[in-house]
Amino acid sequence: MPKLKLPAPPLPDRLNPRPKRPGSTKTKPLAEAGISAIDWVDERTSLSQGARWMMFRKIPKGTNWFYTLGSATLFAFLSQTVTGVFLAMYYRPDAAGGAYESVRYITNEVFLGEFVRGMHKWGSSVMVILIFLHMARTFFFGAYKYPRELNWVIGVALLVLTMAMSFTGYLLPFDQRSYWATIVGVNINGTGPFVGPYLSDFLRAGPEFGATTLARFYAIHMLLIPGILAALIGAHLYLVAKLGTTAPPWIKADDPVQKEEKA
Amino acid sequence: MPDRHQTKSKYTTDRRIPGAFEGETVTRRRFMTASAHTYGGVATMMFVLPSLAFALGPIFEEQDQPWQDVGAADEFDEKSYIPKTITIASGVGEAGKSTVYMRRFDPKIDKEPKDEYNDFIAVSTRCMHLGCPVRYVPAAERFICPCHGGVYNFRGEVDGGPPVRPLDRFYTRVRGGRVEVGPRFSVNREIKRFSPRDPGQALDGIGQYLYPARPSIRKLPNT
Amino acid sequence: MNQREKEEYLREFALLKQQGKPFFPYSVAKDGAMAVIVMLSIILMALVLGAELGPKADPTTTTYSPRPEWYYFFLFELLKIIKPANLVPLATIGVPTICMILLFLLPFYDRNPERRPERRPVATAAGIFTIIAMGYLTYLGASAGSPTQIDMETPPQIVAQGGPMLEQFETGKQVVAQSGCEACHKFGENGNDGPGPPLTDIASRLPKQAIARTLINPTAPMPSFKALQANEPEKFDAMVTFLSQLK
Repeated sequence: MPKLKLPAPPLPDRLNPRPKRPGSTKTKPLAEAGISAIDWVDERTSLSQGARWMMFRKIPKGTNWFYTLGSATLFAFLSQTVTGVFLAMYYRPDAAGGAYESVRYITNEVFLGEFVRGMHKWGSSVMVILIFLHMARTFFFGAYKYPRELNWVIGVALLVLTMAMSFTGYLLPFDQRSYWATIVGVNINGTGPFVGPYLSDFLRAGPEFGATTLARFYAIHMLLIPGILAALIGAHLYLVAKLGTTAPPWIKADDPVQKEEKA
Repeated sequence: MPDRHQTKSKYTTDRRIPGAFEGETVTRRRFMTASAHTYGGVATMMFVLPSLAFALGPIFEEQDQPWQDVGAADEFDEKSYIPKTITIASGVGEAGKSTVYMRRFDPKIDKEPKDEYNDFIAVSTRCMHLGCPVRYVPAAERFICPCHGGVYNFRGEVDGGPPVRPLDRFYTRVRGGRVEVGPRFSVNREIKRFSPRDPGQALDGIGQYLYPARPSIRKLPNT
Repeated sequence: MNQREKEEYLREFALLKQQGKPFFPYSVAKDGAMAVIVMLSIILMALVLGAELGPKADPTTTTYSPRPEWYYFFLFELLKIIKPANLVPLATIGVPTICMILLFLLPFYDRNPERRPERRPVATAAGIFTIIAMGYLTYLGASAGSPTQIDMETPPQIVAQGGPMLEQFETGKQVVAQSGCEACHKFGENGNDGPGPPLTDIASRLPKQAIARTLINPTAPMPSFKALQANEPEKFDAMVTFLSQLK
């Protein structure tokens, strides 16, 4: 690629950077410090190898905007994580009135409270949409086929966990919709033969919606599922980097053998 | 050329065990492998099992269901239901309450055997499809569920829609002219009493075997 | 996919990769642009739609109509459509579990090496069908009104008449809505289609007296409104008036 050369601005000579003297290797001290800090870390971790492998791997030709849906989902997840952590600073999982009161406090009193809660709430919708679009792209492009079968399975697990996230997050504001949707959701789990009754008892921490139900949903929503989700996202990304993203199925490589014959 | 003096069979190198080294024997390798698995497994179970038991505990813990006064006996009649609020879970204030519809036992329409616990009929407001709040509509003499279209008749039996069994009921008794509401129980199509099940769990046919009673909540013995 | 097809694919993919560009900065720039769009739409929704907090949870309510978040509407509608009580576990657990298993195992039963959507007609058709079915169920779930409310507009000739007629029509509408008729009858967009006949245009099939007679002496399982007529005749009359105007 030709180097881009910007026209020099018409400045007085004094303001222009002086040309380097031959033999001088002096660099800027700040940049030097930065480089040596990175070198120090790299000498002890060899991280730059991994970063190089990850960042400068080739992406097959023909990839288009549909291929950004996966990273967009990841971004929505990051946004959910950060806004969620900050919401947790104000939230109280107390069904006796504290939960609703704390969410009301976040919404009405805290600086930017309604905005951050809105981001978390709508971020969940956006993440669900993106994960479905990403899955549709993978499906229609046949990208789940050899050698990426395992990555599809991990992806479906991520979809299930995302839906479980939105289900458990639902209860936390403790308004009417939260409460009844959770009752219905728990009872749906309860209709599984044999294990159903015990499963719904486990989710509710007892036969009725009680004092520890909300804390249980809160712990599942902000510790258990996000932990598994983060681990699986790591595995998903490792496999994407290792196997490479697919090209759109209609793209064909220029065959080097045919090219030689033509030439 | 291999060293002829070396005893080979004793060592693991030529048994193609990964990471084998000179002087290692098969039995020693086996012993160490077994130790690694055992210690690892035991150490993991030592934190997994107690935490799991801790989380699963409430499934096996029987809940207290005290009798609650809901009003004077002459407040209720046979013709219509009166809503009353009771507490079904303690420690959560308003969130542990529920509404029951109360009426007097009417021998003309109630065909179940009469005993000390059904002088008054207390019907739960949880829809037996998936637990939405049903409402008694006096004009139609029906219970209507707002979610998926369940309809129950005056006795709480399913009239239409997807509910799997009649509305749950509560034990009632009279103490000194006051009506008290006790534990919940579920009923099948013949209004036979069963230990309380969750909504969506059928009790007719094989239903009662598919959805076993839970240790955490029981009907009163011998009823 | 056999060994030869696998090798063929890997060879083709290696070539495509060779002819591609490095992930950084070419793909990262696109991903970054997309991330900005995603964050902008989230922020826009948070600013415009806000974070609504409904009334506090009240387990003693008998008037609230629970509705799920929009992405569960398809499941909500599925639960409504599957009516027979012994099929309820199928709707709640069965269908979702089967769908999930089919989704998990997709790469193991679809072993066709072809990747272009137009050359895999079965897979593509199944995918499009799933999307349409979920979209349709979501639409139905979203437009399902509460069964204690009728959204029909008052016809202009009634509004023109005004006075007691209009008043009786509105009262009747309310009585009908709150009497649970919609559990079995359809009124315009509201109510269940069956087991009772739709009442959207009942007046064109039954005269007023016949409607009143049916309300008092219905065929089972419809309940009788005799008690209402005896106790609150003005409500009963309003009900009959409302129904006899539905053409």
